[in-house]
Amino acid sequence: MRPFDSLTLMQFTWAFLSILGFSIRSNLKGSKVFFTSVGGGLAWALYLISLYYTKSPLLSVFISTIIVCSYSEVVAPRFKVPVSVFVICVIIPLVPGSGLYYSMRAYLNHDLMGASEKLLETLMIAGTIAIGIAVVSSVTNLIHRVINRF
Amino acid sequence: MTISVKEVCELALETGRIMLQNGGTTNRCEKMMTTVCAAYGYQRTESFVTPTGIFLTVLDKDNNATTQIKRIEGRRIDLGKVSKLSSIIIELKNCGKKGGESCDYRHLMAKLKEVDSYNPWSEWVKLFFGGMTSGCFCLLFGGSWAEFAVAYAVGILVSISMRLIVLLQVNNFLLHALGAALVVVFAKILDTWVPGIKLDNIIIGGIMLLVPGLAITNAIRDTMSGDLVSGTARGVEAFLLSVAIAAGSGSMLKIWALVGY
Repeated sequence: MRPFDSLTLMQFTWAFLSILGFSIRSNLKGSKVFFTSVGGGLAWALYLISLYYTKSPLLSVFISTIIVCSYSEVVAPRFKVPVSVFVICVIIPLVPGSGLYYSMRAYLNHDLMGASEKLLETLMIAGTIAIGIAVVSSVTNLIHRVINRF
Repeated sequence: MTISVKEVCELALETGRIMLQNGGTTNRCEKMMTTVCAAYGYQRTESFVTPTGIFLTVLDKDNNATTQIKRIEGRRIDLGKVSKLSSIIIELKNCGKKGGESCDYRHLMAKLKEVDSYNPWSEWVKLFFGGMTSGCFCLLFGGSWAEFAVAYAVGILVSISMRLIVLLQVNNFLLHALGAALVVVFAKILDTWVPGIKLDNIIIGGIMLLVPGLAITNAIRDTMSGDLVSGTARGVEAFLLSVAIAAGSGSMLKIWALVGY
């Protein structure tokens, strides 16, 4: 698939709708629901777009995490909610649930090589998401401190 | 406005309890408790928060320390309560100043009770959207429309049965393992009725309802703000929940294969 075509838009819509469901399941209400869903859609669309350009899943997850976490840091204070509320919702499409399942299934089929490959990929994606969140929250803390100082 | 140390402790601990039980980070929880105490004139407070308990010390003007400990049980994801509580505490900062509404003990306690029972959507709406989450994740990973319908049904059935399992007060680990096993069971049962579908995307859609996104996010944000204890605890929680999901779905797939479908 090429970036910015109708398929990417459709994928954006599916991610949007699933995060809409997730945020309503966790009791959010009002326009916050819309903004978390947009964040979730953006996370998945940015992942696909950067996957097309960089051909590297880990780098794409990293870029996507950085951008959507910055989005949450900007949007969350407008609604007077903790930033973590937004980050929890927008990060869901990137969490490697499929890798977990495929590695489990490969293990059940006595395919140990495939299982460990998938498991390593899953762990590395989870670690990359963690690093992305860590970088954004540290840099935001730094920016706040600099703004308060001057 | 002065109220006794005991009442301030009670308010602060109630704030912290609601925050932690519904998925707030510990750093934000400590800040909120300090804000509550400061709003009533107790500037010097020390708090230590872990995901399973709160320690709070409040010093009054004569340096008499009052310490209270609160055990936190029954954690779940309820971001609506976290955001509502957060906006109440932000309003509390400018109460007592010009234009701010009054905030005596009873007023704030009533507000906290209101947050504790805050439930904007009825159960049916939540079930409907829970199904949509798993259905759309199925489409996201490349499912067809028939698979979307099956994943939707699986999502709703799993949400209902998780609600029932919670009533038995099982621990979080077993809850996720049973949830993942039920995803596989419902998908396999529906597979016998609906022709021409692949189970992989449906099961992944169901599993995405259970993945510990909250634990990962909070673990990292806690670690980055310096709360190493709760960061580590939540990281281990996220890892164990993933293991539980994999073990639940894997063992049920194996059992189903052995039984012979």
